[in-house]
Amino acid sequence: MSDSRTRLRNVMLTLGVGAIVAVLLALVEGNGGAKLNDTLALFAIWGIAALSLNLVNGTTGILSLGHHGFMLIGGYVTSLLIVPADVRERIASQARSDMTPFTLSLSVENAFNAVGLQALTTPETLWVRFLVALLVGGFVAMIFGLIVGIPSLRLKGDYLAIVTFGFGEIIRLSASTSLFSPFTNGALGFAGVPNDFGKSIWWTFAILGLTLFVMTKIKFSSFGRALQGIREDEIAAEAMGVNLARSKVLAFAISAFFAGIAGGLWVSYLSAARLDFFLFFLTFFFLVAISVGGTGSYTGVLMGVAVVVFVQQYGDPLEKTYGLPVWFGVIGSLILIAAAGGWLYRKTRRMRPVLHPLVVVLGLIGLGTLLFAIFGQNSPALDGTFQAFGMRRILLAVLLIVIMAFRPEGIMSRAEFSWAWALRERKDQPSDEERAQDAWLSNPDLNRGSATSSEDPLPASLTAEDAPNAVPFLERGTKPDPDEPRYGEGRDWQPEQDDEEEGR
Amino acid sequence: MSMLSVRNLNKSFGGLQATTNLSFDVEPGEIVSVIGPNGAGKTTLFNLITGVYTPDSGSIELEGRSLVGMRPNQVVDAGIARTFQNLRLFTNLSVLDNVLIPQHHQLKVPWWQAVLRTPSYRKAEAHMHDVAMEKLAFFGPRLMSFRLHQPVYVLSYANRRRTEMARAMATGAKMLLLDEPSAGMNPKETAEITQIIRRMRDEGGYTILLVEHKMNLVGEISDRVVVLDYGQKIAEGSYKDVVNDEKVLEAYLGKRADDDASEEVEL
Ligand SMILES: Nc1ncnc2c1ncn2[C@@H]1O[C@H](COP(=O)(O)OP(=O)(O)OP(=O)(O)O)[C@@H](O)[C@H]1O
Ligand SMILES: [Mg+2]
Repeated sequence: MSDSRTRLRNVMLTLGVGAIVAVLLALVEGNGGAKLNDTLALFAIWGIAALSLNLVNGTTGILSLGHHGFMLIGGYVTSLLIVPADVRERIASQARSDMTPFTLSLSVENAFNAVGLQALTTPETLWVRFLVALLVGGFVAMIFGLIVGIPSLRLKGDYLAIVTFGFGEIIRLSASTSLFSPFTNGALGFAGVPNDFGKSIWWTFAILGLTLFVMTKIKFSSFGRALQGIREDEIAAEAMGVNLARSKVLAFAISAFFAGIAGGLWVSYLSAARLDFFLFFLTFFFLVAISVGGTGSYTGVLMGVAVVVFVQQYGDPLEKTYGLPVWFGVIGSLILIAAAGGWLYRKTRRMRPVLHPLVVVLGLIGLGTLLFAIFGQNSPALDGTFQAFGMRRILLAVLLIVIMAFRPEGIMSRAEFSWAWALRERKDQPSDEERAQDAWLSNPDLNRGSATSSEDPLPASLTAEDAPNAVPFLERGTKPDPDEPRYGEGRDWQPEQDDEEEGR
Repeated sequence: MSMLSVRNLNKSFGGLQATTNLSFDVEPGEIVSVIGPNGAGKTTLFNLITGVYTPDSGSIELEGRSLVGMRPNQVVDAGIARTFQNLRLFTNLSVLDNVLIPQHHQLKVPWWQAVLRTPSYRKAEAHMHDVAMEKLAFFGPRLMSFRLHQPVYVLSYANRRRTEMARAMATGAKMLLLDEPSAGMNPKETAEITQIIRRMRDEGGYTILLVEHKMNLVGEISDRVVVLDYGQKIAEGSYKDVVNDEKVLEAYLGKRADDDASEEVEL
């Protein structure tokens, strides 16, 4: 199939799937109930944030932990620009508020009035104002992204991760200081942010689609290749002409822009902007999503976000109060499953002994706990209840550990979903003809009598005749062990006589 | 004007003088080999030229333009690209991507055009593909077709070396520094790579400076040979002259048995 036809087919398929998703969303919006609606909106918002984080963490390979800071900036800027007039009046009347008349007047509505666009200040056109506020939030976050990008030029790996983490915290903590509180309303934050957008699956999914589009287009463009080159080997990338500084700063800025957008939607989703909505746990969720899905794969990241959002939204049963027998039963079963998993793992890997003492001990402990829970239900020892606060996050952390232990590259690794992949068109597999040609090229026995070897460019005589003294020594071909001491006795080594034979 | 001109170059690591007062020239269209025992400072010389290290003193000029103080990517812009002794490919990326990345620095189209895939970006991308194929074609069909889309980590060692050379060529540099291009290759592959290096000069128009331990390769293609030992140039000239030079033999072999007595007296 020709290139342009393949492209047309892919576009059609993508549009088709997009249409199906749209129909499903419409069905959910009509009949799915508020909970499912919220879950999908949350998936989209966190998806935007995780995708943008992945541009830096996955594609460029720079561990950045300050994403919640960029979201905070986007969220607060959006709130400041969009909160309705009655909220502003209430803030103005509060004695504890640091906001000044000037900062209170900063809104898209006032800006539109000032430039004579009264038509865009009606309640029906709130979406225009919201989009403007969202974009401004994105741009402000991007400026901060540029500022963080600059230390990233000098630092590497762990050090940079610490700096970005510190930066995220600085943003959050300084937002309530007197310098910024006229803009952020200090610790009070903003209430009454319109939630028509953050809770709308149409808006959130449209922006998620846009983010996904931009991110994948970047990844598969010359810029994305350069960024991936930096991830693979920074020194090599620079030696191949990639401008490290410019590329990294660009990645940080684009990533921060979309994080700002996600922050704007996040405050809209929550109908309020408060500092404790932007804790490090947000970045932690995105990191789990990226690691579980596959670092560098946007397909994988969306899968990871789905897992995280599911646990977060439907994990309530995990944090309810249960009787102790239930807990013991569950824990016993989990230990049993772990033991069975260990046994299966050792069996499939042909490890001896299959029944490792640890597996046996685990199995016995699990079984014992389970039996105790079943038969000791009514014993006074199990009389009581327990509530596991924070179980959802523990579960996510355990998931992260398990993935890191058994599939550190994540579910999708670096691979992306593509139609060619879905339709099993593999370009990296040889045809039979190519396989034969390849065997011929790489097997000296097959092409011995061929043209290439008959004009063997290296007659043995060349060096042997020209430099009789040098040949046996200079032509050693292999290099001595680099660890061998060269200074001192190492220099007196005598060449072996059959060196010349080995060379050919 | 000579292509590359190195004058009185010095570099030390702590107490170790890795390059001492080194001067030599490379003329346009030449193949010059740098040889010397392990640890002689050959790779250090490459790192100095390509901006990985900054020289303590001395000058490096490419067509009269100083390279000292440039970042490695600026050296590539100026016209010198290199391969690495220990292979530094983008291992998880495909062969094609590996040969496309070095062309990125020549891209004039801004990034948002790449996102929108505007006609000018598409044209640039198509051109990059053509260049990639042209460079890979130096190595025959073995890196083409299905290999193009395979990640580098599945390639054989020899194919990785070839990919690295294609990658260096794809930067658009006029001059290539090849650090042991035949390391890890069997004699037949070495013979082939020797011819390819020659073709890179004859057909590709590259000026080539190479480091090599396999003397048959060096003897076969070098216009000139520079011999280093302990960071110093101990000989320079045609291969025949150089390999019969007393100092060179001494550097490689140690002192001759019959000379030992007299040397010891001197000491
Ligand atoms: N970054 C560095 N820091 C300290 N010493 C270094 C550094 N780079 C090189 N050296 C030292 O400089 C000397 C020259 O090393 P270099 O790698 O240039 O040798 P070479 O001629 O390439 O050897 P080989 O044939 O083994 O590749 C060696 O003694 C090496 O240990
Ligand atoms: Mg070396």
